[in-house]
Amino acid sequence: MLKQLDIRQRFEGRMIVFQVTMAILLLLLFGRLIDLQLYEHEGLLLQANKNRINIVPLLPTRGIITDRNGAGLALNHISYKVQMIPERVEDMDGALLNLKRLLHWNDRQLANIRKRITHARSDRPVLLADKLRWDHVAPISARLHHLSGIDVIAGTHRHYPYADLTSHLIGYLSLAGPNDLKRGYLRTENVGRSGLEKAYESILHGKPGSQQEETDAKGRRVAVLNQIPPETGADIQLSIDVGLQQVASDALGNRTGAVVVMDIHSGELLTLLSKPGFNTNHFITGLEHEKWQSWLNDPRKPLLNRTTQAAYPPASTLKIVTALAGLRHRLPLANGATQCPGYLELADRKLRCWKRKGHKHVTLHKSLVQSCDVYFYQLGDQLGMQRLTEEASLWGFGEQTGITLTPEARGSLPADEQRLYNGRTRPWYRGETMITAIGQGSSTVTPLQMARFAAAIANGGKILQPKLKANAEPVVLHTVDVEMKHLQKVRKAMRDVIAKPKGTAYWVLNWAPWKVAGKTGTAQVIAMAQDDEDEDIKNKKVPVLDRHKDHAWFMGYAPFDDPKVAFAVFVEHGGHGGSDAAPVAAAMIRYLADQEAAQKVKAKRLKVSQP
Amino acid sequence: MNTLLKMDRIILLGLASLALFGIFTLYAAVHHGDITIWQKQNLFWLFGMLVFLTVCFIPLRMIGLVTWPVYLVALLFLLLVPMIGDVQMGAQRWLNLGIVYLQPSELMKWTLIILLAHWFASREPSSLINFSVAVAVTIIPAILILMQPDLGTALVLLLATSAMLLASGIRWRWIFSALAASPICLYLLWNNMHNYQKKRVLSFLDPQSDPLGAGYHVIQSGIAIGSGGIFGKGFLEGTQARLHFLPEQHTDFIFAVLAEEGGLIAVLLLLILYGILISRILFISARAHTRFGSLLCVGIASVFMLYIFINIGMVSGMLPVVGVPLPFISYGGSALVTMLAALGIVMRVAIESKDKIPWQRPGSPFS
Repeated sequence: MLKQLDIRQRFEGRMIVFQVTMAILLLLLFGRLIDLQLYEHEGLLLQANKNRINIVPLLPTRGIITDRNGAGLALNHISYKVQMIPERVEDMDGALLNLKRLLHWNDRQLANIRKRITHARSDRPVLLADKLRWDHVAPISARLHHLSGIDVIAGTHRHYPYADLTSHLIGYLSLAGPNDLKRGYLRTENVGRSGLEKAYESILHGKPGSQQEETDAKGRRVAVLNQIPPETGADIQLSIDVGLQQVASDALGNRTGAVVVMDIHSGELLTLLSKPGFNTNHFITGLEHEKWQSWLNDPRKPLLNRTTQAAYPPASTLKIVTALAGLRHRLPLANGATQCPGYLELADRKLRCWKRKGHKHVTLHKSLVQSCDVYFYQLGDQLGMQRLTEEASLWGFGEQTGITLTPEARGSLPADEQRLYNGRTRPWYRGETMITAIGQGSSTVTPLQMARFAAAIANGGKILQPKLKANAEPVVLHTVDVEMKHLQKVRKAMRDVIAKPKGTAYWVLNWAPWKVAGKTGTAQVIAMAQDDEDEDIKNKKVPVLDRHKDHAWFMGYAPFDDPKVAFAVFVEHGGHGGSDAAPVAAAMIRYLADQEAAQKVKAKRLKVSQP
Repeated sequence: MNTLLKMDRIILLGLASLALFGIFTLYAAVHHGDITIWQKQNLFWLFGMLVFLTVCFIPLRMIGLVTWPVYLVALLFLLLVPMIGDVQMGAQRWLNLGIVYLQPSELMKWTLIILLAHWFASREPSSLINFSVAVAVTIIPAILILMQPDLGTALVLLLATSAMLLASGIRWRWIFSALAASPICLYLLWNNMHNYQKKRVLSFLDPQSDPLGAGYHVIQSGIAIGSGGIFGKGFLEGTQARLHFLPEQHTDFIFAVLAEEGGLIAVLLLLILYGILISRILFISARAHTRFGSLLCVGIASVFMLYIFINIGMVSGMLPVVGVPLPFISYGGSALVTMLAALGIVMRVAIESKDKIPWQRPGSPFS
């Protein structure tokens, strides 16, 4: 044990050690600084003044996106941009006037650029012009030695050959913002903002490299010392057939709507079209503010992806779900028949069938083919909301499909036996259940869900995850436990929608090259002509506003005997499912049949030429 | 008022000169860029001085009372970091407490200094048990910080605590045997690390693997310092900093700006100021009325010294790049305020010991 005084002595001794250590450390630092600032001063000053080492990032080339046949949907074009580092410019006015002449700027553009220069940091490059072709920049390049502080840089910019047609599917890029910088992007890099450009950002982007450059006092490159090349992003081939997408788009014309076509076995999407689109090429340089605002304010909402981000009332297409539920629960009506006088009386209300005169004697088959409402009012009433909702969620409604495009709407299904009303729960009214049974109630679905539903009917109940990449492994999310004879019944009815003269899509699709099975739907937007007083409107005495027109649906699959594709066509305020949505499907079926025929001919030729 | 009159003049003068140095240098580093950084730092100075003055009025006894609870909370935070911490620059160091981002390793470093000072204030330094407890309370957080991995803070923590152990009067041979045992400990630790942790440590030790990052900074700061020469290029006349060859010029690499614009003269002045400040802290330590006060001063002086040596050593290319600020000069609110608070503790020791006999001198309460 130490005596107290010994501790003090030891402490004082060690304080001396500390003082000495501190002095040594400070002297070491001072020595190093004398070394740098006295002995190496001249050399380092030379380096600082004459030749500097500058590390320049090398941006990676983004992977390209092609459709299933190799057609480019997102490509990289070589282009040039002109940059300026303001503090290295000797005569700013002269330089700008020179550039104005060479780049053919007008006075307004020149004023804008002046503003951009005054607002930017004087020691960092300011972008003056980009997306230029070589013949644009060649005269500048030739004069670069007169234009200090100005540089022409080669690079690539993204080009979308199909612009509007694939705008929602492919999406667009924009320059990295503060959040991206935190995630490690460089200020000059482009980042995917929507669609597949966003979903596959990590695959497409690649990895930047860097280059050590020796520069002179004016910041011009003298030599490249060391280079780490950038890694090019991976290319992506989609399952989309852009030809089919074009056909669908042409058939829709300038109407608003959505078209989805899905391979019923793999879940691959052949078409994912939302109209109207927007020209994604405007995004490349940082879109002009006005353009963006006009898209935002456009009542037709061009930025909305109607295939996945919007949900609409499914209308009569949901009768398939009601029919399947009736069959599953073995209701007598599902295998029996009833009378349709054109309406159904419920207390003091009259629920109408779309056909005023009524369908008379109706069975499940006839009601699906002719889309009788009264039959399904009754079937739905007997099922109840709970069983209806259960059946709909079995077939994948009310949940996200899991497609890689985000955000995705899930649509809505009437919750349960109960509903919230004025803060309290109360049971559903019978009338609410009835209109839900014909797809007119509070349930909404996305066109993508609808196409997947059609695929599930064709493939025997397999609910698939929609795939956008070609040759992706099919993912069956779940298989609906449905009896084959029930499914067969529904399929036959869907076939007769087209094959029977009284079917709702007979006139449009009966002569299509493939046998098609499908179902029309016409979703009321406002309660029009539900009561007798509105007879005037029904008789077209009052003009119908466009935004009050009904939504049109057509969903189905083809060919009937050996199904390959399922589709959903949705036309916003389009009118009638049979006359307005079905023709889009007809055009697509013709295209697909032509494609198949052409492939057969090709295969035959191949056989002949290789005996 | 009495308290204020008892304040140590030399520390105050040193602090004022360093404040001027810091404010001018930071202005030079950012004046052509984001000037709000400079304005913010001035506000931090005002707030930090308030903290400094407040700490001057807190009796040391009170500080001693809360050390264990604070230590346990800091340890808890350190344990939480791998679970809910934010990843920044490849290491998990920060904890989001809703209002503020806290760096638990920083908190732990200062807490540990106070804890060790308190531990040895009234204990026999040669006792093996006392020594073992001191080592245990140091090693546990050190390992947690190493796993983050934050080698810089772990290193400062270990060196500062060893300085305190030394000052507390433990035997040299224990220090040496602890140092000798460290490679074995490191080996065991390395084998128990996850692969991602190993990767982070390796990328820290080999900055050349990231040419846009650390290695590049050192080349450029070397050029900046050397080109300054004896008299410097003049205030606001630096070219290296101006051309952004120094990406972190307002934080860890600010010394390069000072050396470039102020030359060897300014650098010498700064080093002398630091020397005066630290030897004055050590002087206060030697004259302290209690052993607790002495040991506190030693711990704080060693942290300052380590910061200065590691930072300038790194910027001038003598040491590997470790993220350590230059005391009172680098931009950064929390670092500045903590260092001013620490200096406040030193000042409190000086105030309490004024006109009193140092401990264990004949006539002191311990003898």
